[in-house]
Amino acid sequence: MSKSPKSSPEYGGRVLQGPAPRPRSTIVWRILAIIIGALFVYAGALKVWDPIRFAGDIENYHVLPWSVNVRLAFYLPWLEIICGLALIFRRLYSGALAFLLALLLVFLGVSIAAKVRGIDITCGCFGHVSDQLSFAWHLVLDFAILAAVIVLWRWDRRPYRVEHVGY
Amino acid sequence: MISLLRQCLLILGLALLPAAGQALYLRDKVSWQSPIPASEMVTVANARGWGSDAIWLDARTAEDFEKEHVPGALLLNGERWNELLPQVLANWSPEKRVVVYCSAVGCGSSREVARRLRQEAELKNVFVLEGGWEAWLAEKK
Repeated sequence: MSKSPKSSPEYGGRVLQGPAPRPRSTIVWRILAIIIGALFVYAGALKVWDPIRFAGDIENYHVLPWSVNVRLAFYLPWLEIICGLALIFRRLYSGALAFLLALLLVFLGVSIAAKVRGIDITCGCFGHVSDQLSFAWHLVLDFAILAAVIVLWRWDRRPYRVEHVGY
Repeated sequence: MISLLRQCLLILGLALLPAAGQALYLRDKVSWQSPIPASEMVTVANARGWGSDAIWLDARTAEDFEKEHVPGALLLNGERWNELLPQVLANWSPEKRVVVYCSAVGCGSSREVARRLRQEAELKNVFVLEGGWEAWLAEKK
């Protein structure tokens, strides 16, 4: 009696939970993941360049004390870069998506809260490169990225994926 | 789920390595406890004591500046930096001290303006007003 492909050793003991994804749609999601990954690498690199300035930007939100802000200013850009690279090279993919989703939600939350409190925030998620954008355009951009990350997350958690692909 | 947690921990660790290295490398250039070192802050009373030796710079928006500002203050903010800086430099001389203020409640631009004046315009004796515009108003009463 031959073994079913769903439990074959060639899948490393992992289980295919449904039909394999269609190649064309896979390519679309891969391209989207690379674009989003590149965006985060770019956004992180801009802030890595001047962490002290980024600490000042976080301070402007008046949420956390300076001693925390300055440490976050060193850490968050590298987290963005690592997550961006993870999306591009499809390593630690689910973890990277989870972090990006959390980062975006927190960023959008504090941005809207700051605006409601009348705080002048000039810096978006692309540091001072996006200074010329209005707050509304910042929101549009951030929600678009959030939507893309959610779509990638949903795709990654789809029922017919191969569980725990090699990582 | 365990795989996701493992990935998250790995990402946290991977980001920590370069961040810690960079923080270690820049440890002497960063003020870890306060956004502005105490040596770069000045109280309203001290700044007023400098009299005509001080140049007051308002880092708030042009609209706020138009409504009210410290007498004799000049407007200088990030939005119109290139346009406004020449008039500041025209009033500046090496013996003068520069006092930058903005609203302490909703603005961090005095710190940014002070930083740019030091780094880009290479001015010395640039101070940020402790408590900002609100402190000035309170002192005036």
